[in-house]
Amino acid sequence: MGDEQAAIQVIDKTIMIELSDKFPDVVSDVDVPSPNRAIARIDPSKVHEIMQFLLDKGFDHLSCISGVDYPPDKMEVVYHVTSYSGPLVITLKASVPRDDPNIDSLCDIYWNANWYERETYELYGIKFNDCPYLKVLLLVEEMEGEWPLRKDYAGYPNPT
Amino acid sequence: MEEGGIKLGEIELEIPPNVSFTTTSAIHDFIKDSPMQKLVNWGRKNSLWFMTHPMGCCGIEQICVGVAHYDTDRFGIIPRASPRQADVMMISGYVTKKYLPALKRVWDQMVEPKWILMMGECAISGGPWWESYSTVINMDEIFPVDIYIPGCPPRPEALLEGFIELQKKIVAQKDRTVIPNPADGEV
Repeated sequence: MGDEQAAIQVIDKTIMIELSDKFPDVVSDVDVPSPNRAIARIDPSKVHEIMQFLLDKGFDHLSCISGVDYPPDKMEVVYHVTSYSGPLVITLKASVPRDDPNIDSLCDIYWNANWYERETYELYGIKFNDCPYLKVLLLVEEMEGEWPLRKDYAGYPNPT
Repeated sequence: MEEGGIKLGEIELEIPPNVSFTTTSAIHDFIKDSPMQKLVNWGRKNSLWFMTHPMGCCGIEQICVGVAHYDTDRFGIIPRASPRQADVMMISGYVTKKYLPALKRVWDQMVEPKWILMMGECAISGGPWWESYSTVINMDEIFPVDIYIPGCPPRPEALLEGFIELQKKIVAQKDRTVIPNPADGEV
């Protein structure tokens, strides 16, 4: 019970202050719009260390990994991290270059990151370094390399 | 007619006495142009067993048609669980590029004569997913479709109406069923 209460105390917005103090040059644009929400931008090269830090602080649930395409030169990987013992959901955005999008894999920290990374890979072409099985997840294998959710995808059958 | 044995792939079978096999479609061609074909079609139209193969939300309506409330048995329409026992396949949902090979395989498992009903907007034109990267929208070019039942989803009565239209097509011999020809080899 004591540990549980300690964990609940950690899962609030003060974690963002700790995060900014621990990684001063990496975490930027911290915003806490509500007690349950926190948003920050991170450097893609340090995503592994940040996630390990958050997991040690009690954020044991990686909710989703998604991608955003900002042509012509930027793509974003968006992580949602939360906890089973607190209400705070942290949104972390990492910008990667669009001509060579790659970022470190989180599979050795969160076991469920594998499928999220594979789906982000098949839809956006963002490569996750050291992902143990980076292949298409739901698409047909022939469509690997088309990256259908990029803005400049031309394979739609009926463009409107 | 063949003398001696009949060859099925690697296996050579001995023909028993007083039994003969045909390798031509002469019987079918003879019946096709005779009044007996009307009797055959009458039997076919009154035993349209459909495969319980729900693919999307239209599958809910498809299952509803099979229950006692609509009593499809009075038209000879009975749900079957296996494609090998079914005569009618309903494409009742969006078909993705990944699902299309499996659907073709199920279609090939059905024995002729067999018919296809297209049920719902998704199967006919892609529906809300008609400009998706993963939806197959030209289903009528891939399968010999007889009846289109638009709706999102069509009501069970509409589906029954589609079956009755299919029965009319079978009686009028305007359906697109595939009659196997033994002369083509693989049957």
